[in-house]
Amino acid sequence: MEGFLLGVSNGVICVAYCTPVLVPCLLAGGGGLSRSTAVTLRFLGGRLLGYLLFGVVAWAIGRPLLQAAGYRELITGSVYMVLSVMLVLFGFFNDSHSCSAPAVTSLVLKPLGRIRLSALVPEAAGLATGLNLCPPFLLALAASVEKGSLSSSLFFFLMFFIGTALFFIPAPFLGLLKTVPAFRTVGKLAAGLIGLYYFYSGLIMFVGGIKSV
Amino acid sequence: MKRDAKDASTVSSRQSPLRALLIALPMMFLTLLMLTAGKRPPDPPHVAALAITFVFFNLFFFLMVRTGKTDRYRAPLFITYAVAFVISFISRIIEIRGSMALTETNILQAQAPFCHIAIPMVLIPAALTKTIIYPGTIIGSFASISSMLILWIGASLSLGRGFCGWACFFGGLEDGFSRILKRPVIKRIGATWTYLPYAVLLLIVLTSAAAFSPTYCEWLCPFKTVTEYVQVTSLKTLIQAIIFLSLFLGLVVVLPILTKRRTQCGLFCPFGAFQSFTNKANVFDIRIDRDKCVKCGRCVRTCPTFSMNDASIAEGVSRITCMKCGKCVDTCPKGAISYHVKGTPHPGRSDRYRLLFLYPAFLFLATMAGGSIRDAILRIIKLVTTGSMV
Repeated sequence: MEGFLLGVSNGVICVAYCTPVLVPCLLAGGGGLSRSTAVTLRFLGGRLLGYLLFGVVAWAIGRPLLQAAGYRELITGSVYMVLSVMLVLFGFFNDSHSCSAPAVTSLVLKPLGRIRLSALVPEAAGLATGLNLCPPFLLALAASVEKGSLSSSLFFFLMFFIGTALFFIPAPFLGLLKTVPAFRTVGKLAAGLIGLYYFYSGLIMFVGGIKSV
Repeated sequence: MKRDAKDASTVSSRQSPLRALLIALPMMFLTLLMLTAGKRPPDPPHVAALAITFVFFNLFFFLMVRTGKTDRYRAPLFITYAVAFVISFISRIIEIRGSMALTETNILQAQAPFCHIAIPMVLIPAALTKTIIYPGTIIGSFASISSMLILWIGASLSLGRGFCGWACFFGGLEDGFSRILKRPVIKRIGATWTYLPYAVLLLIVLTSAAAFSPTYCEWLCPFKTVTEYVQVTSLKTLIQAIIFLSLFLGLVVVLPILTKRRTQCGLFCPFGAFQSFTNKANVFDIRIDRDKCVKCGRCVRTCPTFSMNDASIAEGVSRITCMKCGKCVDTCPKGAISYHVKGTPHPGRSDRYRLLFLYPAFLFLATMAGGSIRDAILRIIKLVTTGSMV
């Protein structure tokens, strides 16, 4: 219950952190309500995965390392840079083919067969924003490490996720804008621009993290 | 014969000198009122600056009415306005702060002047979060948020996106650069890029609300180069300065020269994208008479903001991004394009519709530009007589 309440009380901040990525993805999807619901669920799935990963890490290594100077910036910076590359590919290059930058991505894609990198943007965006060590998330992290066991830590993050996810209920309604085809173009371009913004943020965080460690 | 066709658009709007003078008289009175604010100029330099500004404005308005050409006489005023604004603003900022640099202290003390480009970045997050994300003052000081908002509301109601063609104090810079070459070097620009301003708008609204900082002003404003810039004290501020300069050179200088378009306004400006929506609420639009149109494509090639295309011609109305500068109206060889008042017959009395638009548009231009041009003239007089503008 504690995790859920913490999620509910901080959900607005989570939405503020996530909308710059989620909204362009939803608009670029160009689908109706059902497709937007699917994209939102995939995004939330990525976030849940990020939260649970942290639940494991919080249980395994505890708070001191994660909150030590530099590590926070290193983790968030790396994640942001990976996300930014995906967003830029998704936003500025044609995703109707298997991949817009085959030379760069073939190494990643070979083991995964013909999976389109840009098709995984909602999950990756959810995961990256889920791993973002924003203030409410740090509160959740601090509370979860007190739990002691892995199951308690995971359960705490699950409840925290459910609490914050309530604020994403309106998101699929952006799918109602599908009648205006221009929104899809705007969404894709915005995703690319957001990618550039995240790349810069990630790079600065990463460099700052290296200096601090 | 060719000349007759070329001037077809002008013939219907052309006025006799006496009639043009009568139409221009109310504007003379209004501009005098705006420029003097009911006070007598204190000294000869002020009298000279006022007289030059008054004559400059009213001569061009008279010519606009007399000849029936809109953009031909709007453009010199608009370009002069932008150059005068830069001269006046920089001089004033140096007087107040001692330099063009915006320091952290200025930001913490909310001393950043507010400009209209920041409006969507402030307005949309304010509606959602009840917080104004801008380091400026609401009322009272130089370039406060409320005074700009009031001007913007008035201009939006009367002009729609015409604000960008008649009142924006930056647009004239690229308008000027776009007129340097006789023919464009870059002729084709992908239609997808015309949606970029909406993407930039989405980006800045979302990131401003998320980060609680004016993202556009911090990172993307090309006009920081000619107004004020954040003092370079770190790697971050150095990157910001490089971005500002690159965007200014690219979008305001080089691309307008090469494309003969207003590329910053048409391909980047988030305020322009936001302002496009006000065209829906505004009573004026630009209509195309499909019976007269010979599909020569001249309007498509000359529109500064990519607001004319085959689809819009087929629909008989310019795109939502139209800033009503009148360039297409002036250049149409068949007089098929005209100003129009929504809800009235088309084609109707297009000369009257045009005059109905010109009054508020020109008055806004005179109101916004008058102070800057007069101040710039005063600064130049000061420079000549004392060797310093401040």
